[in-house]
Amino acid sequence: MKITALLVLKCAPETSDPVILANASDVSHFGYFQRSSVKEFVVFVGRTVASRTPPSQRQSVQHEEYKVHAYNRNGLCAVGFMDDHYPVRSAFSLLNQVLDEYQKSFGETWRSAKEDSSQPWPYLAEALTKFQDPAEADKLLKIQRELDETKIILHKTIDSVLARGEKLDSLVEKSSDLSMASQMFYKQAKKTNSCCTIL
Amino acid sequence: MGSTFRDRTAEFHSLSQTLKKIGAIPSVHQVEDDLATSKRSPPGSSKSEFNKKASMIGLRIHETSQKIARLAKCTVRSIVAVFLSIVFRWNHDFVLVAKQSSIFNDRTVEIQELTVLIRNDITGLNMALSDLQTLQNMEIADGNYSQDKVGHYTAVCDDLKTRLMAATKQLQDVLTTRSENMKAHENRKQLFSTKNAAVDSPPLNNAKSAPEPPPWSSSSNPSGNIQQPLLPPLNSGSGATLGSQLRSAIENAPSQQMEMSMLQQTVPRQENYSQSRAVALHSVESTITELSGIFTHLATMVTQQGELAIRIDDNMDESLVNVEGARSALLQHLTRISSNRWLMIKIFAIIILFLIVFLFFVA
Repeated sequence: MKITALLVLKCAPETSDPVILANASDVSHFGYFQRSSVKEFVVFVGRTVASRTPPSQRQSVQHEEYKVHAYNRNGLCAVGFMDDHYPVRSAFSLLNQVLDEYQKSFGETWRSAKEDSSQPWPYLAEALTKFQDPAEADKLLKIQRELDETKIILHKTIDSVLARGEKLDSLVEKSSDLSMASQMFYKQAKKTNSCCTIL
Repeated sequence: MGSTFRDRTAEFHSLSQTLKKIGAIPSVHQVEDDLATSKRSPPGSSKSEFNKKASMIGLRIHETSQKIARLAKCTVRSIVAVFLSIVFRWNHDFVLVAKQSSIFNDRTVEIQELTVLIRNDITGLNMALSDLQTLQNMEIADGNYSQDKVGHYTAVCDDLKTRLMAATKQLQDVLTTRSENMKAHENRKQLFSTKNAAVDSPPLNNAKSAPEPPPWSSSSNPSGNIQQPLLPPLNSGSGATLGSQLRSAIENAPSQQMEMSMLQQTVPRQENYSQSRAVALHSVESTITELSGIFTHLATMVTQQGELAIRIDDNMDESLVNVEGARSALLQHLTRISSNRWLMIKIFAIIILFLIVFLFFVA
């Protein structure tokens, strides 16, 4: 499950090509000579998908072995390239987060952008690495995972409590035997005491 | 659970005997005297009419709940059969479809028979339970009763009633799931049987196809994963015309294909997103309720075992008391023996004196 690239674009309504505002990609698993072409490809596909996404809509497109998820919110568009295993919901919550972060850090300045910005945005790069594991992006997934772990632990606990119950059972038996035996012992002692008083 | 019950009747008998010896119980009932005298009689011999009926009803309830569990398993299996049949239809394997649907039909027959049986059982059980209630009232109205007996009867009746209610609720759940299955099956049948598949190909926008270079052509084939839920209606519905049109058009203008599918998908995609979120939330909620159930289960088990621990403690205290008493008795014995030596010497001296006198007499 991996994310290959994350893009933030400004989608001008149907007139021109979208403008790339931020770009982060992880091309380490390609050969050295393929990297630049892959980056170009990412930029190009990102632009196309973003231009096709109507405002306030989410979209997922399958392209070769990637799924491209796009979320357009009032002209600000986030596009993510993920592989097929990445759960769709986490992808979209991740895109949501990216957009929120972008708006927080850059306010409304992006509306005036006319050319692709080449400045890297560090948040996007670290988001790319951090969210390789979908649980990070999607709180629900994280919660579900933790709950499942807790359930497993609880099952083990119940098993050990059952074993404890059995041991307590055996202890009860033994202690009742012990009390019987001590009672016999007491009676015996009293008997030996009572008979030889004459002597 | 390990031992859901403990047979402590032997302890109870011994306790009652010890108490009798001490004289703490005034023997009210003649039955108790009979029990005390005939120790060898097995503890279950004093089963009254009420007890016999109650045990029979309990057995029948147990059988009915087993049947309901079997019914639940049958309905679950039928869901699997539905899915299998759908998968095989997608692969156009009609022979297998026929086989699967025949199995599914047999299941319905079996399910219906079982439901009828279970319903009859439940009505019979209801009647038996009301009989039991009247029997209890009769026995109480006899006049010669103790509070414990009344408590016992009411407890048994309540227990049986709750068990019967649980069984009926289970049956209801199973029947609702079965009706849902039927509905889902009907829906899926409709989905595949309509020849008018939803796609009227919109006027393909030729202007956009121009700037798209060939690398996009490879996007045609794998459309598969995301678009599969919508393509089967396309494929199975038209079969030849529309699907092949689409496929032939793909090489020329893959972007058009994508646009069309995108048009179809944007609305379902929005729904899917929120739906999947709702589903995930539901699963989280159900997991949490499961966890709470497990916790309560754990708590009950621990309290039950707490009682065991108390018993162990009591036993140990008792054995401690006994051992202390025995020790003191033995100590007394020891002191008596050790202190009595002086007396023993005197006694032996007297005996030897007698012997000497005796010898003197004889010789």
